[in-house]
Amino acid sequence: MSDTIRSTRRPRRFRVSRRFLPYLLSLPALLTCIGILIPFGTAIIYSLQRYRLSQPWNRQFNWGKNYVDFFYDPNFWNTVKVSMTYAFTAVTLQLLLGLGIALLLQKRTMFNNFVSIMLLMPLMTAPVLASLMWKLMTNPGFGILSHMASLIGLQDFRWGSDPKTALLTVVIVDIWVYTPFIMILLLAGLRSLPKQPFEAAALDGVPRLFVFWRITLPMLMPFLLTATLFRVIESIQQFDIIYAMTQGGPGNTLMVFQVEAYLNFFQATNVGRSAALLLILWAITYVLSSIFIKNWLRLREKQRGEA
Amino acid sequence: MYDKEKTLADAFVAKKIDRRELLRGMSALGVTTAMASVLVNASATRALAQNGFDWKAHEGTTIKLLLNQHPYTDAMIANLENFKELTGMDVQYDVFPEDVYFERVTAALASRSSEYDAFMSGAYMTWTYGPAGWIDDLNEYINDPSKTNPDYNWEDVLEGVRKSCAWNGQPGGELGSADAKQWCIPLAYEQNNLTYNQKVFDAAGLSVPTDLDSLVETAAAAKAAMGGNNYGIGVRGSRSWATIHPGFLSGYSNFGQVDLTVGADGKLSAAMNTDVSKTFHAKWVDMIQNSGASDWSTHTWYQVGTDVGAGRSAMMYDADILGYFMNGPGNAEAGNLAFSAFKANPDAAAPTPNIWIWAMAMSSFSTKKDAAWYFLQWVTGPEHSLFGAREMDLVNPSRASIWADDIFRAKLSSSYQGYVEMHDVSAPGASIKFTAQPLFFDLTTEWAATLQQMVARQVPVDEGLDMLAESVNRQLAEAGLR
Amino acid sequence: MDTTGPVERVLRGIAISLVILFFMFPIFWILLMSFQTNETILRVPPSMVFEPTLQNYRALITGRLETQTSTLEIRFMSNLYNSFFLSATSVAVGLLLGVPAAYAFARLKFRGSEDIAFTLLSFRFAPPLLVLLPLTIYFQQLGLSNTYGGLIWVYQLIVLPLILWIVRGYFEDIPADVEYAYRIAGHDFWATFWKVSLPLAMPGIAAAGLLAFIFAWNNFIFALVLASADKQPVTVGALAFVTASGIQYGQIAAGIVLSITPTFLLAILAQRYLVEGLSLGAVKG
Repeated sequence: MSDTIRSTRRPRRFRVSRRFLPYLLSLPALLTCIGILIPFGTAIIYSLQRYRLSQPWNRQFNWGKNYVDFFYDPNFWNTVKVSMTYAFTAVTLQLLLGLGIALLLQKRTMFNNFVSIMLLMPLMTAPVLASLMWKLMTNPGFGILSHMASLIGLQDFRWGSDPKTALLTVVIVDIWVYTPFIMILLLAGLRSLPKQPFEAAALDGVPRLFVFWRITLPMLMPFLLTATLFRVIESIQQFDIIYAMTQGGPGNTLMVFQVEAYLNFFQATNVGRSAALLLILWAITYVLSSIFIKNWLRLREKQRGEA
Repeated sequence: MYDKEKTLADAFVAKKIDRRELLRGMSALGVTTAMASVLVNASATRALAQNGFDWKAHEGTTIKLLLNQHPYTDAMIANLENFKELTGMDVQYDVFPEDVYFERVTAALASRSSEYDAFMSGAYMTWTYGPAGWIDDLNEYINDPSKTNPDYNWEDVLEGVRKSCAWNGQPGGELGSADAKQWCIPLAYEQNNLTYNQKVFDAAGLSVPTDLDSLVETAAAAKAAMGGNNYGIGVRGSRSWATIHPGFLSGYSNFGQVDLTVGADGKLSAAMNTDVSKTFHAKWVDMIQNSGASDWSTHTWYQVGTDVGAGRSAMMYDADILGYFMNGPGNAEAGNLAFSAFKANPDAAAPTPNIWIWAMAMSSFSTKKDAAWYFLQWVTGPEHSLFGAREMDLVNPSRASIWADDIFRAKLSSSYQGYVEMHDVSAPGASIKFTAQPLFFDLTTEWAATLQQMVARQVPVDEGLDMLAESVNRQLAEAGLR
Repeated sequence: MDTTGPVERVLRGIAISLVILFFMFPIFWILLMSFQTNETILRVPPSMVFEPTLQNYRALITGRLETQTSTLEIRFMSNLYNSFFLSATSVAVGLLLGVPAAYAFARLKFRGSEDIAFTLLSFRFAPPLLVLLPLTIYFQQLGLSNTYGGLIWVYQLIVLPLILWIVRGYFEDIPADVEYAYRIAGHDFWATFWKVSLPLAMPGIAAAGLLAFIFAWNNFIFALVLASADKQPVTVGALAFVTASGIQYGQIAAGIVLSITPTFLLAILAQRYLVEGLSLGAVKG
């Protein structure tokens, strides 16, 4: 009822488009992306086939067999484990480090602003190229980092070429490239927090650690979730760094989903297995992201309610 | 335009003057050495134009090539003007870095793109491309006198190399069998032998190893003598099929070992876990652990080469042409590297190097196949091969006639100590030692991963090989090959 | 917050120095390398003492690489141009599509809005390799392969979700009162959107655009598979220095320096917006 009353006061032109307006605004974006569903659908079909480019005569639907085979395949479970470990380790360390740096740079000074922009440089270095440089820096002969490691007593530190330190090495490169992304998001978050709660807490003499845990962190949560969301998606699908550093080796130490799928596709030309592997990766990403997004929306609703 | 120069060049080709006189004459005319080479070749091209073959049949046609960034490609491009003049055709090309080259080829062919008419390929890759229906059998062209010029001389191509590019498509089928299809034509090839640092060997009083045991000993002695971060022997170790194919497989096959056996019924089964193989693996693993690079498991072509060129390793058991490149200017050890054929098995009669072949293949999706064939026969023909070998880095040429060329042999011998002798000794036994089959890349990559696990002491050699054989057999069975 | 003791100040100083050391040292090392020849780079042990040379940059900029045996033609500058063109155009298209959509999701709650928003984001979930092979086939059939248009479309999968997500949050935090007031004054929706909402959201849009630009710039696999040599960006082009006859580390280093520079300049220009723009609640104050 109230709608009709209000709308009589508005120009007619506006009223007509009112219902379609949101669709008019959002559909172009959707339509642009929707095309991707076609290759996506094709990939699903591939994943249900026994399909190897080098044996075209063998191509036929085997329905879920590619997936069922994974269940009994120790290499597959290794891939799941490595991908999860990698994503969890890299993202956790990046969050801690990114948060720490953001706290250090929180104050708006010329110096802090300058440093925050400088720190974006690793993010601007394409991961493929960054990996090449790290590989050179960790070379046991002319690598500066190996040289430095030997100066502090790590004589034979083998970085990416030893199964024991390979994960650590690629995680360090990942941290180097992507921590700035988290840092900049969290820095923006920190600087946008309202001042009143902090001033009140300071007046009451509340310990700073307590303020951090009970005020800063909860208020920063949406930013943390956004940063985590994008980083989790990307790190569970990590390819560039690992492929360039070790091609998934030594042994199967760093065989993550996309590296395995890449080798399956481009080298073995086993399209069916590759597609099935990637669809499982997609499902994992989907579930993880949905959890994050649900929490993000809930948090924002809650905050909006408080504001 | 270059009348005087052309006269000189023609005189040279007709053997009226020698090379030094030619260059002196040319420089008097203000022509640089590089320019002179192309001009000489222009006159060779003119000679080719008069062999009675209709070179102009495809005049005005444009073909497009997909090429890997490589010295062979440089040679091709440097000489391209002569081809254009000879045929009146135009040639376009896309060059991609080697690191990503085969991904590009697979992407182009899997999408059935007609963009490229011909492309560079490795012989192993044709085991995928051929059965997939992406490339044509070139026998149809080679054996057709109306399409192939009379000076092509196909028989001149070294037999082992020629046959290694031909396969009948049957899993396990013998390379170069009577019913084989010629999937590609070699541009040039690599043998795997020893490249060693003469300076280091002299200083430490070492002699060139003659079998696997002495290789292991020499590597250890060299490492001890060099000290520091340096190491005795460079071999590849990355998680890739490319770790298996150079030195490793060359030595392995010298002991009569194979990757797979083919049964009477044509079925394949793994053969990596024989006793001889286990002994070989154990020695190899031991050698890497004791005197290999500490970052061996990331070593590809590049690291193995860079280290021997920078003086970090005393020798390498890898492609001879990698040693050839590393002995050139721009490397710390330029001029110190020497070459030797290597026979891992003391009881073997001769070295049996496995080989890598860069070859040209024709896309089945091409719409200008006959024109593309004109390019293929020219670029793999004796005239361009001679130009590439003499003036550029088209080593190792795959034609016997080029190896008989005195200028080429003299060029090699003057700065690459022992190279020609090495080639002569090992060429007769040089061929691809793998079993041609559709799972080549997965199985061989898994082999490399297992080798990595052995070197990292994650799994004992015997157990690792039994597991590998079991896994290989399972995959063969799944693919219907066992 | 301002009550920092001297001990804390020292600790902070040490912490920030360590951070700068870890993140900037590799960049510094790359910069040094870009002024060295391969021979000095490969010295054992590594050293900071060398005679600087401009030959790497000269080779990249003139497009001619003199190696021991021949002159290589390199297309680094055209790769750089491709990177710039692809990233800039993709971000422009992404903003054009993404900003209105973000506004709709933030302001105009409508039936299915959350579903559409989630769907748009979820395109980011698909592993790039999954769609790549079928895509090459369809691109071939549609004549899109090897065109800038096709690539820019695929790049939307990278830039659009990021833009949507950040800009949407930003719109949500701008108080609606300002827009409402303007609208009451008799202006229609489009005028309000154009004159009020957009300018208010500018920092957020700029920041999202810059981040999207960086991610588009760094992309490797899409361009590698979908574009032929003349459309390749620097991420693929720089691999040309990894050659069979040796890795040209000096040129790779110079290439990295040149490839960071444009983005870095952009970041400095957008400095003011970058941090503020990502502060979703900036206006709430």
